[in-house]
Amino acid sequence: MLIDHPLLGPRDAQEFVVLGDAGLIDRPDRQAGDAARRFHEYLHLRNNPAGEHRELWFHEQGDRSWLVVTRDTLTHEILRVELARDVAVARGRDR
Amino acid sequence: MNGPFRLDGGLIDRARALAFRFDGRPLTGHPGDTLASALLANGVRLVGRSFKYHRPRGIFTAGSEEPNALVELRSGALREPNTRATVAELFDGLEASSQNHRGSLRRDLLAVNDLIAPFLSAGFYYKTFMWPKSFWERVYEPAIRASAGLGRLSGEADPDCYDKGFLHCDLLVIGAGPAGLAAALAAGRSGARVILADEDFVMGGRLNAETHEVNGRSGADWCAEAVGELASMDRVRLLLRTTVTGAWDHGIYGALERRTDHLAGSGGKPRQILWRIYSKRAVLAAGATERPIAFGGNDRPGIMLAGAVRAYANRFAVGAGRHVGLFTNNDDGWRTAADLARKGVPVAAVIDARDQEPVAEVPGARIVMGGRVTATRGRHGLRGVTLATGERLALDCLAVSGGWSPNVHLTCHHGGRPVWRDGIAAFVPGDGLPGGMSVAGAAGGSFTTAAALAEGHGAAVEALDGLGLSAAAGEPPGASDESVEVSPFWHVAESRGRAWLDLQNDVTVKDVVQAHSEGFRSVEHLKRYTTLGMATDQGKTANVAALAIMAGQTGNSIAETGTTMFRPPYTPVPVAAFAGRSRGREFRPTRLTPSHDWAEARGAVFVEAGLWLRAQWFPRPGETRWRQSVDREVQQTRGSVGICDVTTLGKIDIQGRDAGEFLNRIYANGFATLAVGKVRYGLMLREDGIAYDDGTTARLGENHFVMTTTTVNAVLVFRNMEFARQCLWPGLDVHLISVTEQWAQFAVAGPNSRALLRKVVDPEHDISNEAFPFMACGEVGVCGGTPARLFRISFSGELAYEIAVPARYGEALMEALMAAGGEFGAVAYGTEALGVMRIEKGHAAANELNGQTTARMLGMQRMVSKKKDCIGNILSERPEMNREGGLEMMGFRPVDRSEPLAAGAHFLAPGREAVTENDEGWMTSVAWSPELGHSIGLGFIRNGHARIGETVRAWDGVRGRDVAVEIVSAHFLDPDGERLRG
Amino acid sequence: MAEVALTARTPLDGYAGTFGGVTLVEAAGLSLVSAAVPNGGGDAFAAALAEGFGASRPSTGESVPGDRLGARILGMQPDQMFILFEAPDPDRAAEAVSSALGPAAYVTDQSDSWAMLRIEGRGVRAALERICMLDLDDAAFPQGRVARTVMEHLAVIILRDGADSFLLMTPRSSARSFLHAVELSLANVSE
Repeated sequence: MLIDHPLLGPRDAQEFVVLGDAGLIDRPDRQAGDAARRFHEYLHLRNNPAGEHRELWFHEQGDRSWLVVTRDTLTHEILRVELARDVAVARGRDR
Repeated sequence: MNGPFRLDGGLIDRARALAFRFDGRPLTGHPGDTLASALLANGVRLVGRSFKYHRPRGIFTAGSEEPNALVELRSGALREPNTRATVAELFDGLEASSQNHRGSLRRDLLAVNDLIAPFLSAGFYYKTFMWPKSFWERVYEPAIRASAGLGRLSGEADPDCYDKGFLHCDLLVIGAGPAGLAAALAAGRSGARVILADEDFVMGGRLNAETHEVNGRSGADWCAEAVGELASMDRVRLLLRTTVTGAWDHGIYGALERRTDHLAGSGGKPRQILWRIYSKRAVLAAGATERPIAFGGNDRPGIMLAGAVRAYANRFAVGAGRHVGLFTNNDDGWRTAADLARKGVPVAAVIDARDQEPVAEVPGARIVMGGRVTATRGRHGLRGVTLATGERLALDCLAVSGGWSPNVHLTCHHGGRPVWRDGIAAFVPGDGLPGGMSVAGAAGGSFTTAAALAEGHGAAVEALDGLGLSAAAGEPPGASDESVEVSPFWHVAESRGRAWLDLQNDVTVKDVVQAHSEGFRSVEHLKRYTTLGMATDQGKTANVAALAIMAGQTGNSIAETGTTMFRPPYTPVPVAAFAGRSRGREFRPTRLTPSHDWAEARGAVFVEAGLWLRAQWFPRPGETRWRQSVDREVQQTRGSVGICDVTTLGKIDIQGRDAGEFLNRIYANGFATLAVGKVRYGLMLREDGIAYDDGTTARLGENHFVMTTTTVNAVLVFRNMEFARQCLWPGLDVHLISVTEQWAQFAVAGPNSRALLRKVVDPEHDISNEAFPFMACGEVGVCGGTPARLFRISFSGELAYEIAVPARYGEALMEALMAAGGEFGAVAYGTEALGVMRIEKGHAAANELNGQTTARMLGMQRMVSKKKDCIGNILSERPEMNREGGLEMMGFRPVDRSEPLAAGAHFLAPGREAVTENDEGWMTSVAWSPELGHSIGLGFIRNGHARIGETVRAWDGVRGRDVAVEIVSAHFLDPDGERLRG
Repeated sequence: MAEVALTARTPLDGYAGTFGGVTLVEAAGLSLVSAAVPNGGGDAFAAALAEGFGASRPSTGESVPGDRLGARILGMQPDQMFILFEAPDPDRAAEAVSSALGPAAYVTDQSDSWAMLRIEGRGVRAALERICMLDLDDAAFPQGRVARTVMEHLAVIILRDGADSFLLMTPRSSARSFLHAVELSLANVSE
């Protein structure tokens, strides 16, 4: 597999480590009243789509960027690659 | 020197003779020969025995699709079984032998299988070896294993070496026949980066085997010129003897290059190279494979594919027989008769299954239109055939053509399904091709030379367009459109005797019919039940006819019946090529500590810790057992001072305005309040609340920390912290970089450690207990100004320090420490002594942090802050993880102090049965404590702290031991920590 | 205190080898210091880099030369550069960068983290293609390009510092394994 790194261009998937669902960016607020339930869902409940899937990949043997890779699980086609930091900021994560 | 069947012409070098042996018999051939062509030139037709029935078999094809002519090449450790004689390039001194016979090739004792063939049909194994069950392992398996398989492995280590590599191109062209050469020329002339790969040792594909003309010249001459032009282009790479074996994601292809298989020896260079080719576009120009017609006794040596007979005559200058017959269902087959006649080989008969006018005149040949071959004769080689009319013809070679099947294999590797095309009676590539791939020429079902050249050219131009490269390719080469008319004809219904489909797995028409009658209707079931197409040739010549017969049984069309899928590899790839260099010590790299050479020179015994080699203990003269060395190292450290290389611990430099806050969230316990110049122990949780790593972190400045992790988790902790930094809290100003390799770090432990360090640390640094107390850290100079970091931390429980210097000074510091420690009798200690001391002290390590343990189990629940956000604290509050009476880490000592303990033992109440319901926990770590003079252990046991003093059983079913142990505190010595604060 | 000052040892003990037309030598005398860009401090960092090293800030995967101390700035990560230079005092390399860049960067000495090998000569790419999955073609990897990647399971930073010259940096502890891998590649492709 090749991942088209937004800064570096196509790089072999061997340089990367995959973590899983990009939903792991959306870590719940511990102050929320039902934090335990939210954390449980955040950590354990996953969709397993046949088709478009957003995944976190770490360019460990590269520039150490975490990426959000949108991949079709049926064809392995990679539709979009973004810096996870940009995605996180866009989703309101800050400090 | 010429063999008796050698003809004129061809692409062989008659000026040189190559001596070789087959089954010990000395023979000669020429450069340009394959083993198969050289055998045929010498009149050798019987080359092996079939897999199941041990039928005599000969050479069937002239290429990599060969199902029959499998031989053993070379001898001794270099012996390689199941090699296709049709692709084995002849070299001087080649030794080959036939395989799969007991006794001689001509008098194979296992040929008896052929007599009992009626009992060995499809599903034989499944039906026969069922009862009695007790026979499975003791009788059936040994018997089957003894008779199974084809060639023999040498049983010795492969003395050759192998390599891998990575190539990049704009356009990968797979196959160097007319389509591939035209594609490569078009792309190469346009300046694109091109890789042209072909499995053969001469480029040109069928152009070398046929008498077609290109641009008004002989096909072979045109090929040679085209290859010369391509070789002169520095952006074009020609890979001869290279099979593209698989299509992977995103334009990546696997290819096996055979570098030295055609030489007598490898000369120490890699024999084969497995390439990973990154392509932007690919043109599949893999050509087509001819297929046979099934008829009675169609497996005898001398019965060959018509195109192969042509290839032997035109390219290799070998006549496959002296009384050659042709049995065809298509016009292309007639070319065999024409080419042989031109070469002076007598053609005795042409039998065309089609009831039509003859395609051509063949002087001297008996022409039978609408003819059928029903039977053959000849024990070790063909002597004649019988037609449906009853007519008998004397033939020593029968060239058979059932039409051609495009080599669609690589188009299927991403799930593409071939589709049936009636006009050529063949499967052609369907949808779902690997991205970036296009197909040209015969591989796409365009069988004429003109079409192949035009399509190859066109595919390259289109690919370059897609890449935004301007094509400057000119016009495609020209050739005539020869006739390739074909009428489907698969099987002679009037056959007498078995009609073979899959020659390598000995599958007959009858097997397919039987499978259908037993209910195996899907082609995938048919394949697995009969083993059709499951041999090393993957049924390249067999599958289509079998599908047609299956379709005939079900009454469906072939299109409706469909085909089985092709998977990588296209042709077999040796496991050694997949291994590449990764053999023996080179299986993986080795990491060495800064003091490695020093330790090695002192006879240290090393242990693998991940990729690291660490000194396990340092034997001294007279010490014959490891325990003697380890006990001494522990006693001397606790009694005076010891030194241990702890560089392998992960070290991460953490800087930024928010570094303290960041660490607060990474560790379960607080770090924001840590004072500059201090170190704190920290525990890391996973988000699910399970403990996963621990270590110490020092604050070197307001915005500067240095963290240590366990050796095994160094990479994981770094990865997780980068995740937290980039994905969870991108607004925090914090920056990470590994400094594991930067600093050589040594533990200096024992009551004399400070005295020793005073001799090494430069005098301007006050390291007294008052100025540099327990958990202090700071930057110091050593040995006259070398920068160093000093940490007062202790894993051993003694007064102890860790001292770090830039790695280039690591070995020198080890020597300096040992020299300075001379007056104290300082010892170097290894990981065993380190482990003994941490168990005595009750420190958790990897055995305790096994991915199942909570902070509470480790007795650290008070460290998990409730006041701040940190990874894992919410889910660590789950009730089950905080249940009273849960597992707690405790110490254990044998009631009978002379008893040894064993890690892995489970705790049971006295008198309780050893069953899961009675399990109360398990022993995680054990050691023999020189300090206490008996074995000690750490482990988890239910409600441990409330049960101190209680006796339980440490039951070890694996080792068959059952020891009474007393529950004690995990801190076996100095529970109040007086030593380390002293 | 100890009588003798500590002697430094390079990861590969000054290795030098020749394979046909390719030379492989341990690059000595270079210091390597990482400089991380504080959040929101990009402008200050660029100014400090220009002031301290006479260099512009490279994008990730690029390197740019400075005008003093033989410095070259390598863009390793979006917010992290490596500064490869000849430190006046190798024991104070981080301090040298720190004083050059001031508070505009967080610096960490990496000089001892990486063994450095320079591989040079015609045919160098034929050897590297046995272990390096990156495309080292002139167009894809021109002079000045830098990348962190993996070769034979080991992390490697590869910098193209000449038409036929590459600087390879690999973790110190496994440097001998890496050297062996490169030597073997050279041996495998030599005539």
